[in-house]
Amino acid sequence: MNMQSRLKALLQASSLAIVASVLAACGGGAGTERLPPNDVDPPATYTGPPPQTADIQNFMNAFWPNVRNGGVARCAGCHGTTQNPMFAREDDVNLAWAAADQLVNRTDPGSSLIVQKMAEGHNCWLGSNNAAIQACATTLQTWVENWIAGTASGGTKTIQLIAPPNKDVGQSRNFPDDSAGFAATVYPLVTEYCAGCHNSSSATQQSPFFADDDVESAYAAVKTKINLDSPESSRLVLRLRDEFHNCWDNCPANAQEMEDAIRAYAQQIPVTAVDPALVISKALTMYDGTVASGGSRYEAGQIALWEFKEGSGTTAFDTSGVQPAINLTLSGDIAWVGGWGINIRSGRAQGSTTTSKKLHDLITPTGQYSIEAWAAPANVNQEEARIVTYSAGSTQRNFTLGQTLYSYDFFNRSSTSDENGAPLLQTLDEDEDAQATLQHVVMTYDPVAGRRIYVNGVYTEDPDPAAGGTLGDWDDTFALVLGNEPSGDGQWQGVLRLAAVHNRALTPEQVMQNYDAGVGEKFFLLFDVSAHTGTPQTYVLFEVSQFDSYSYLFNRPTFVSLDPDWTPSTPIPVRGLRIGANGVVVPISQAYRNLDTAVSVANGYVAGTGQVLSSLGTVMPLEKGPDQDEFFLTFDVFGSDTNVVTEPAPLTPPPPPDGDPVSDIGVKTFDEINATMATITGVSPSQPAVKATFALVRQQLPAVVDMNALLASHQVGIAQLAIEYCNALVEDNTLRTSLWGGTFNFGAPASTAFDTGPERDQIFVPLLTKAMGTGVASQPDEAAVRFELDNLTTDLASCGGSCATDRTETIVKAACAATIGSAVTLVQ
Amino acid sequence: MLASATAGAGPREQARRIHERLAGVPPSEAVLTDMQADVAGNSATDAAYTAMENSNFYSVTLKNFAAPWTNEEQSVFVPLNDYTATVIGMVRDDVPFNTLLSANLVYVGTGAGVPAYSPTNNDNYQALEDQSADLKTRLSPTTQTAVSGLPDSGTAGVLTTRAAAEAFFVAGTNRAMFRFTMLNHLCRDMEQVLDTSRAPDRIRQDVSRSPGGDSRIFLNNCVGCHSGMDPLTQAFAYYTWDATQGRIQYTPGVVQPKYFNNDTTFPYGYRTPDDHWTNYWRAGQNALLGWDTQLPGAGTGAKSMGQELANSTAFARCQVEKVFRNVCLRSPVNGADRTQIDSMVGSFRSGGYRLKQVFAESAAYCMGD
Repeated sequence: MNMQSRLKALLQASSLAIVASVLAACGGGAGTERLPPNDVDPPATYTGPPPQTADIQNFMNAFWPNVRNGGVARCAGCHGTTQNPMFAREDDVNLAWAAADQLVNRTDPGSSLIVQKMAEGHNCWLGSNNAAIQACATTLQTWVENWIAGTASGGTKTIQLIAPPNKDVGQSRNFPDDSAGFAATVYPLVTEYCAGCHNSSSATQQSPFFADDDVESAYAAVKTKINLDSPESSRLVLRLRDEFHNCWDNCPANAQEMEDAIRAYAQQIPVTAVDPALVISKALTMYDGTVASGGSRYEAGQIALWEFKEGSGTTAFDTSGVQPAINLTLSGDIAWVGGWGINIRSGRAQGSTTTSKKLHDLITPTGQYSIEAWAAPANVNQEEARIVTYSAGSTQRNFTLGQTLYSYDFFNRSSTSDENGAPLLQTLDEDEDAQATLQHVVMTYDPVAGRRIYVNGVYTEDPDPAAGGTLGDWDDTFALVLGNEPSGDGQWQGVLRLAAVHNRALTPEQVMQNYDAGVGEKFFLLFDVSAHTGTPQTYVLFEVSQFDSYSYLFNRPTFVSLDPDWTPSTPIPVRGLRIGANGVVVPISQAYRNLDTAVSVANGYVAGTGQVLSSLGTVMPLEKGPDQDEFFLTFDVFGSDTNVVTEPAPLTPPPPPDGDPVSDIGVKTFDEINATMATITGVSPSQPAVKATFALVRQQLPAVVDMNALLASHQVGIAQLAIEYCNALVEDNTLRTSLWGGTFNFGAPASTAFDTGPERDQIFVPLLTKAMGTGVASQPDEAAVRFELDNLTTDLASCGGSCATDRTETIVKAACAATIGSAVTLVQ
Repeated sequence: MLASATAGAGPREQARRIHERLAGVPPSEAVLTDMQADVAGNSATDAAYTAMENSNFYSVTLKNFAAPWTNEEQSVFVPLNDYTATVIGMVRDDVPFNTLLSANLVYVGTGAGVPAYSPTNNDNYQALEDQSADLKTRLSPTTQTAVSGLPDSGTAGVLTTRAAAEAFFVAGTNRAMFRFTMLNHLCRDMEQVLDTSRAPDRIRQDVSRSPGGDSRIFLNNCVGCHSGMDPLTQAFAYYTWDATQGRIQYTPGVVQPKYFNNDTTFPYGYRTPDDHWTNYWRAGQNALLGWDTQLPGAGTGAKSMGQELANSTAFARCQVEKVFRNVCLRSPVNGADRTQIDSMVGSFRSGGYRLKQVFAESAAYCMGD
């Protein structure tokens, strides 16, 4: 198809959509303003009767071109000529519609017969493997949704709740009261290898203390870390096997050793029915629920969509229904994520330049576009990382959605940018818009509003540094890539659960609509509690979805009766809701255990829609997988049935073993040294020179008492301060007289001032008395200290006839500093 | 050259050590002799009280004892502030220390050259610092209501001092105030109180349930602290640090916007409606922290939450252990040390929470023999 015909197609699609919206007078809901552009030949050559209704016109625009002769699904070969139902017939679109209408479910397009048939693998045009069949079914569903969305009135779909299968809670293994089995199997392993931290008496203690010296304490702590029904899923095993957490030699082998020990323990425990004392509901798996997702996204301008439903293989299919599909080839370390998504650790998902050209061809005519992603960045350390890019490498691009630390980046090439899309629009780093968690990120561009970034439905209000421009310079030879640049130098790490490109700038309302629609499969699970209400068809309804590869999201428990006329005649108390999985009450993440309410009309019960018990959601760990994990609910109180759970009192851990003996003495710290010197010398710490020196060396002085931490640099600082104090002391007549009395002659020459023992005593004795005290045996030997001071004085006084006039004072200062800067004052 | 510090220490040596450990400076001959007599008379704690008469016990020992509690870096090299001064004053005046986190009390500097307390700056305390002022005599008690304008119900001891607000209410989500209070006054950082079995129903919307796309991190780590921390930190819902004015801001009845930071991260999480706090750690392994059974374990505002924390056994034990480390220069290492700690915790709690007494008993225990 050439550019002109594409433009024509677009214009036709738009005008048809407008007509449809006027005719149907519809508003809100999924896509009623415009129908999606389509690269398939429009029914320009159709010569049959015109569509008789708006719905047929929508069918003709959104669905029929894909299945009729020349359509990508290639159905017309059979269903256009010979094979009923003839929904792809060429002669009369009204008859084709009549055939197709029998095959679709307008309230739940995903359960349409035609979609289900495709899901069974019926002539999928993309191939015969499961991933291709999944993509074909999804694409077909999109066409159905687009058709219906063009005609739907009244907005979002009404979900028809269906009574689930009646299943009792299964059997399971439960922890016995006695810890003996644990003590004989798992405990020896954890005490040998984990007690360095997971022990309450460890110097590097780290809760939980499952390797505690006291086996009962350890047993209490280990219960949440062991899965008796699935030993290989135990946290103790996963931590070693998948997360390489402090393996003692070889992680896989250590994990196996741990698993074997847990298995040996588990095999000692008989499988039992769920605790009969529990007040429980019936049981359900996630797939027993009613599908709740789909249909509420705004997709009218969507030209590419990756939902990552495939779950295996190396191709992520573009299921937008707009041809050509930009199917992405996954290369590098990319894993499929449970509940739909890909986890990009390295590498990229890349479309061909041929199919990527669709973006160029469908966006340049509109001059506006949006990039949308549900992304969970693996971290907030990555820089210049590309999440969705349509580029040639790190220097040439049409657009890019990227991440730099806590910011999202938006490059757009236009007539006002360079060929790399600069200047960059980046969210303000201090806003920390990008977080390492699942976020809905939308970037929109139009020439008037420029670039705008929305995170979780909210406009970030970062102004576009470039003026609006046209997109005529876009290069149609670039490739659409997720998670990297085509050149491989913009690696982004994280989980992508959905990516889409629209050839319209989504409005804030449309962005919010898509954010509200969420991502992934969502189910309504109806837990039967009729046994406790005494009324048939009463349920606790949960919205359940797979949150990521490791958990489910349970949201918004609601009490409801499927009898649309029923209301509670008397209040039904509901207290302490817990979620169980596979026969056991899950030990963690029980967000509803404090629930305390009653179902009644006064509390908000409405016939048909029920009463919301809690608006909270909580994540519950995935154990066996969404097709196997069987959930149930248990209550402290439901109606007149009661089983109040009382927690056992925690065990007091035993006292830790004695530690190694430690020093009974230590060094003084900075302020103590300062105060000590001030006390001995009598000099005020506020004396200017002293104060200045202390301020200078304060952080150089010891800050901890540990003697082993005392360094030479500390001693240098101490010496500096000591000299300053002694200088201030000797230079101040009052102070020095106060300490040494008036007998010592500071004015005498050094050669004579210290030439007798009594003269030296006049200095040494008061000094040592003040510093060391008297008669204190724990202090240094006074004679030894005096010996050192004597030597120091002798050395300093030996300056022949060339002594300076203040030499005597200097010697006193030195003796003073040697005393107060020594261990005499430093050790406490 | 150093004589043995332990072998054969007599009353005089023991008295000197008591003085050095408590006041940080050597005693005068007269004081030493007086203390020696007390020690010899089996009244070592009396000797310790004598040592604590030295101003340096307040200006040096207590100041450096409390200074690290007042900043996130836990640095001792910070200027004197209202948090530190209040701790010093409470010890000096034997104010029951279990009111540390709830009292409508602040100690302010007095004397020449000291400007009046201002809720918007630290000048009052900086002046004391600059003067190397004697903190034994220059601190005077008053109410936070009088000097900061907080209503009585909005005061929570040192938690609502200017210094604490500047350090822990600044930006963020106010969890820092809780974490550092636990660290400084219950001697437990978050990983030591981690308990994944508590209900996560009060964890705010800003906590990712799938960090980096991996919910195992949340289910096995994050939830362990946040499930207990968030419902307690709710007590601070009306507080923040106003960086423009340089003062604490208290907005009774209006939850601070910081409680809704990143509220789209997990929109199904808890949305803070008020300052009602609940102590989920009264059950589960953290019941071992010894919560006061006379208290309800829930309430509104920081004051009652401060009472909840400060009346726990863990609080009392933490204060005692901190003093023990400060005076004995080591952590308790053996049964005898632990018995002494137990004994001091008992006398601390039964004796009106006088921290000076703990200093005295610790000094007597570690005076050498």
